[in-house]
Parts: sequence; structure tokens; C-alpha cells
Amino acid sequence: MSKAIFELVDELPTGGLTVMSLNALDFVIPGQWQNLVGFDNTITAVTGTDDPEYIQAIGERAVALYNDRGEGYQTAMWLYNTVDSGSRLLGAAAMANKVGEKFSMLGFLGNITPKAETAQTIDLSVKLVAEIVAYCQINGIPGDSVGDFLAGLADYGGESLMRMTALICFDGLIPLGPDFIGMVMDKMGGMSPDELEGNQTFKGIKDQIPGGDTGGQLGFITESFGSVSGWMSDFVSSRGLSPETIVGNLRNFVDVSDDKLDYLGAFLDVSTNYYVHTGTQTLARRLIERAAAEM
Amino acid sequence: MIVSNWRKALMPIVLSVVLLFSACSSKEPSKYAATQKETAGRNAPAAIAKNAEAGGDFNKFFPQGDSGFARVFSQEKKGFAEAKLNKGGKNVAVMSISDTISLPAAAKKYERSTSKIGSYPLLDEAPLKSTGVLVNNRYQVKVASRDPSFTSADRKAWLQKFNLDGLSKLK
Repeated sequence: MSKAIFELVDELPTGGLTVMSLNALDFVIPGQWQNLVGFDNTITAVTGTDDPEYIQAIGERAVALYNDRGEGYQTAMWLYNTVDSGSRLLGAAAMANKVGEKFSMLGFLGNITPKAETAQTIDLSVKLVAEIVAYCQINGIPGDSVGDFLAGLADYGGESLMRMTALICFDGLIPLGPDFIGMVMDKMGGMSPDELEGNQTFKGIKDQIPGGDTGGQLGFITESFGSVSGWMSDFVSSRGLSPETIVGNLRNFVDVSDDKLDYLGAFLDVSTNYYVHTGTQTLARRLIERAAAEM
Repeated sequence: MIVSNWRKALMPIVLSVVLLFSACSSKEPSKYAATQKETAGRNAPAAIAKNAEAGGDFNKFFPQGDSGFARVFSQEKKGFAEAKLNKGGKNVAVMSISDTISLPAAAKKYERSTSKIGSYPLLDEAPLKSTGVLVNNRYQVKVASRDPSFTSADRKAWLQKFNLDGLSKLK
């Protein structure tokens, strides 16, 4: 049986490599993300109430909504979990809890293999598609027009915006370099369904990707990436992002040399789970917002 | 004698401290555990009634954004639709319509209402900084503040901008 939503939110960590690496991205979207943990804390943060009876009533409604499988919340949580390949090295992440100590990647280089460009390209685009599908599972398709839907996406803030920031930085710029957007578009455009089929991240969430067969799904993934590429390019250029600026901020807690950026990408991939961490926060907020409105 | 009295007095304190610590070390069941048990599992009742109205049917009754307020639709689920009101890029309120057929207690609370908008009972819930009306004894229309600048009077003013009569004719 899957875990209760209040447990998932209560168990979100307040420290460790995931939280440290996301905090290192605060310079990109200053003040937009606070690591909000705890179910009742989230109810108070969303609704502004600290009345215990209201908190209990909202919490109970949110628990019931999450448990109703037809509502899509559990599918969204599953998507966030499945595309996050973290946790393989969470033992290493736990060591980074030592306050004030810099974490050295050196001891783990033997355990890390940088991903081939194609695998990283697919991972990045599949994660983006997972975000779109999870968004629809959580929020439905709000409004009566495509414009309404896009306005909803453009209204991303808080932990959702942090997740997209981390996607661009940790899965795009660091492992693939400053031209990652054009590169991914080229590679996805020339990819065969067989190549896609062989990718673990894709296989994990294949059943949830629209498009029918693998060929159709490849089309959907490529189109989805293309449709947000403009937003991503603007994001990167307007904030002056480059692999160097990001690594400069990560150096506050990880020792890494410039010639090991591909290793840094792989290291972040296996030692953090930012998708499920911020995904849980997003899901909890939307669920609580709905529960408070319905009661 | 004094020593033994002192010991006697101390024992209950020591015992209660020990009990307190052992009670804390075993994990207390969550205050949501009962709800979890009732609503999880194969035969659990659905949170949303089968015959709840589609959320998309509510969209057209929402007010448009105006005078510096942008309206952004944010959720559309079965029996529920929600839009944010943003001002200067900042979220200041959320507006919603929900079908209380899934949650009759939500409709019942309007029995406490002492005022109305048109013919619809109005209820202000101060702890939630939220104001709502109940339309046709079924559809709950709510506006909740997300910023201190958005007052109870603002909530009421925005509730009046909904097409409540249109919503009352929804079949």
C-alpha cells in the first residue's frame, strides 16, 4: 500500500544534499523557494490558518482526496518518484548532513559514471514530459482555452519553479553544456523509437506518456520539449545562467573541479531527488488549496 | 527519615519522566490515521461523488480579471474549479466553485449564515480568511485571501462579480 500523503510531507528532509543543492540555486530565483516541510505547516502556509480545528478538517479532506485514486494525485506522485533516479547514493547524501563540512565528490568518483549524451538528452526531455503529465493529473486542464492552460503554466512559482530551475541547471546546463536546448532538439529530432525504448527513464513512465506507440510518444516528447524551449532559453539568458555560475554556487558545499562537470551532473543525479522532493511540496499545496476551498 | 521522605516524593516524578520518555519514543499514531484508514484501500468510499458536476462547467461563471487583477485558472477537477487572482504578479486571492454533493457538511454549514448575496446564504470564515455563498443549496462559491491587502470586503465584492444566477440554473 502506498504511503499516506501526511507521512510523505512530514518526512521531507530539512537538510541533506537535495536541500543543499536546491538552496544553491536560490541565486537564480531569489527567495522563491523555501523548503516547506510538514503537513500541518503546509496547511498553515497555504491557508494562513493556525486554528487546530480548521487544520484538522482541511488535513482530513486532503488525505481523502489524495487517497481517491480517480483524482490523479497518486499518479502524479508516482511520476515524480519514477523519473527521479536519486536515492541510489542517498547514503552519500546523508553524510552531507554534517553541518559546515564541505562534501567531497572524490571518494565517490569510482561509483559514478557520467551518462552518455543521448541518455542525458532523453532523461531531460522525459522529466519535462513527466512534469506536464503530473501538472495535468494534479490540476486538471484549467480554463476553457489553451491560453488559460498556458497562463497556468506561466504562473509557476515557489517549489514548481524551483523544480524547473533545477531541471534546467542540473539536467541541462551542467551535464550538457550552455547549448543544451538546441542540442536536445537536434538529438530528439533524429532519434529512432528503438533508441527511446532502450532508455530506463522512458521505460519507467512509458504508460503515462500520451502518443500511443513509442513512435507517437517520441513525437509527443519532442513536441513538448520544443514548445517549452523558448521559455527555457529566455530563462537561461535573462538570468545569465551558465554551467560556471551554477558550479560556482554549488562549490559552497561540494568540492568539484572544472574538468569534472560531467561527473558533477552524474553525481547530482544519483545523490539528490529534487523532483520528488519539490513534487511532493507542489502536490501537497494544490491538494490543501482544494481541500480548504471545498470544506 | 527526611531522606526516605525525599525519596518517596521523588519516585513519582522519576516514574512519570520515565513513562513520558518511553511514550514519546514509541511513535504516536498520526491525528490523520483514522481518516487514512477510512479512505485508503480498495473498498474505501470515493472522495468525489460520481454525479459531481464537471469542474469545467463552472469556469464560465467566474468573474473576469479587472482593475489590475489578473485572473489565472489554476485547477479544474471533477466537482471543483479554481482561479487565482494576481495583482502585480503576486497572488492575492483564490476563487473557487465546488460541488458540495461530495461533501454535504460543506453545504450544511451555511445554516449558520445570517446574511445573503441576492438569495444566496453568505458565510465568512475568519480563521480561513475566506468568504463563501451557497448557490442552489449545492454549489459553494468561495473567495479566500492570500495577502493581507485583500480584505473581507474585497472577498464579498468579488463574490458579487460571479454569475451566481447563471450558476443556479446549472442542471
